[in-house]
Amino acid sequence: MSQPIRLTVNGTDLERSDLDDAERLLDTLRWRLGLKGTKEGCRTGDCGACTVLVDGESTLSCLTLTREVEGTRITTIEGVRGEPAGPNVLTAFGAEPALQCGYCTPGFVMALTGLLQEEGSTHRTSNLVDELEGNLCRCTGYRSIIRAIGALGDELR
Amino acid sequence: MRVYLASVATDGKANSHALARPPVTFSFVQPTSVEAALRAVGTPGSVAIAGGTDLLLDFDNQRIAADRVVSLNGLPWKHLTRAGGRLVVGSTLPLRRIELDPRVAVDLPGLYQSVHAVGGVPLRHRATMGGNLVRASPASDLLPVLLALEATVHIVGAYGSRASSLDDFLRGSRSVDLAPGELIESVSVPYPAPSAYVWQRVRPAKDISQVGVAVARVPGAGHWNVALGGVVPRPIRSPSAERHLTRLRPKAEEITRAAEAASEGVAFATDRRASEAYRHLLVSVLVRRALDKAIPPEAPS
Repeated sequence: MSQPIRLTVNGTDLERSDLDDAERLLDTLRWRLGLKGTKEGCRTGDCGACTVLVDGESTLSCLTLTREVEGTRITTIEGVRGEPAGPNVLTAFGAEPALQCGYCTPGFVMALTGLLQEEGSTHRTSNLVDELEGNLCRCTGYRSIIRAIGALGDELR
Repeated sequence: MRVYLASVATDGKANSHALARPPVTFSFVQPTSVEAALRAVGTPGSVAIAGGTDLLLDFDNQRIAADRVVSLNGLPWKHLTRAGGRLVVGSTLPLRRIELDPRVAVDLPGLYQSVHAVGGVPLRHRATMGGNLVRASPASDLLPVLLALEATVHIVGAYGSRASSLDDFLRGSRSVDLAPGELIESVSVPYPAPSAYVWQRVRPAKDISQVGVAVARVPGAGHWNVALGGVVPRPIRSPSAERHLTRLRPKAEEITRAAEAASEGVAFATDRRASEAYRHLLVSVLVRRALDKAIPPEAPS
């Protein structure tokens, strides 16, 4: 339907020519590439469940056109171990464990990984919690999530 | 590194979920020169996209439709520069970059606070100032601060470029002084400017602001500027509050008078987020809070 698009997803270079121009990154990841770890929550940018990294920056895949991220490096929860901060975040979430039903977890992990890797942002626990306000846990299981974040804040290093 | 890339067949059943919504279709182009972008957006049926965090929702809600989406992300408009006492913000610069600039929080605290008030970090990695200006939401967190800072909007069109004060640029919700085929290149504000932005929301992390109040003291001004958001279809200045605020450090009774006078003579909106009476109350409280936050402390003697 349209021109081929090149993406690097979790370290794998892809070229696809079956994508629609109006397609969202969320749908490309889930329905074209079968990467179901990235969740669809609200699809209106309110819940953060669809958060992935685009060139290392946390991004709402539901409000991002796949065409807009052509040529970038995309990381989903399936590939987060390959990000510099990914293993630590997974360890901290697993140790609690910082989840109840788990639906929001990929979004939290990706947003937190992005924050910890971001230059110029402060990584005190209170800042990290504040900066995750775009991620919603409908189980309201925030206490364990905040404890996991506490294990990642600068104060403990 | 372990890589997971499952090759799931994208059969009709798998896709049905995504396709259950009203299908949104358009073609996509991303020009790399301003001339090409102006030609593209000047073509009937085209709409410009920057961050897309509002525009794509408008497509989903069938509020707009277009044959073609013209991405502005290939243009050199992602700058954050300082020249002649003004901070110039490129229209397609993601809001997060403004927030992470180490000097914005110091020179323009109100701007920093308003950017921080927009959505969450992943949203701010894409959302832009140009998009916020064109959307001109009554509840925008950026517009009151930009209005209090007497921002200038720099616009390009096929004929050339022009500059407009933000006050002239804003008309109402989704209504701005931007002709078909024109694009916002940047927004500039004077600095340094003691300033603050405060807001009230039903649920702080998950809703837009009921009322937002910005105050700013721009270089050379004879008084504090006070701007109110979320009260009428576009953010407005409050001359009735400003006339009490001529001192850099107003006296306590002057702040009280300004807070009481701030919404004088203006009929506020009542909607599902707040009644008119509650908005009046919020404005008086928030004007006081914003001034308390913005007024510089006495220099130690």
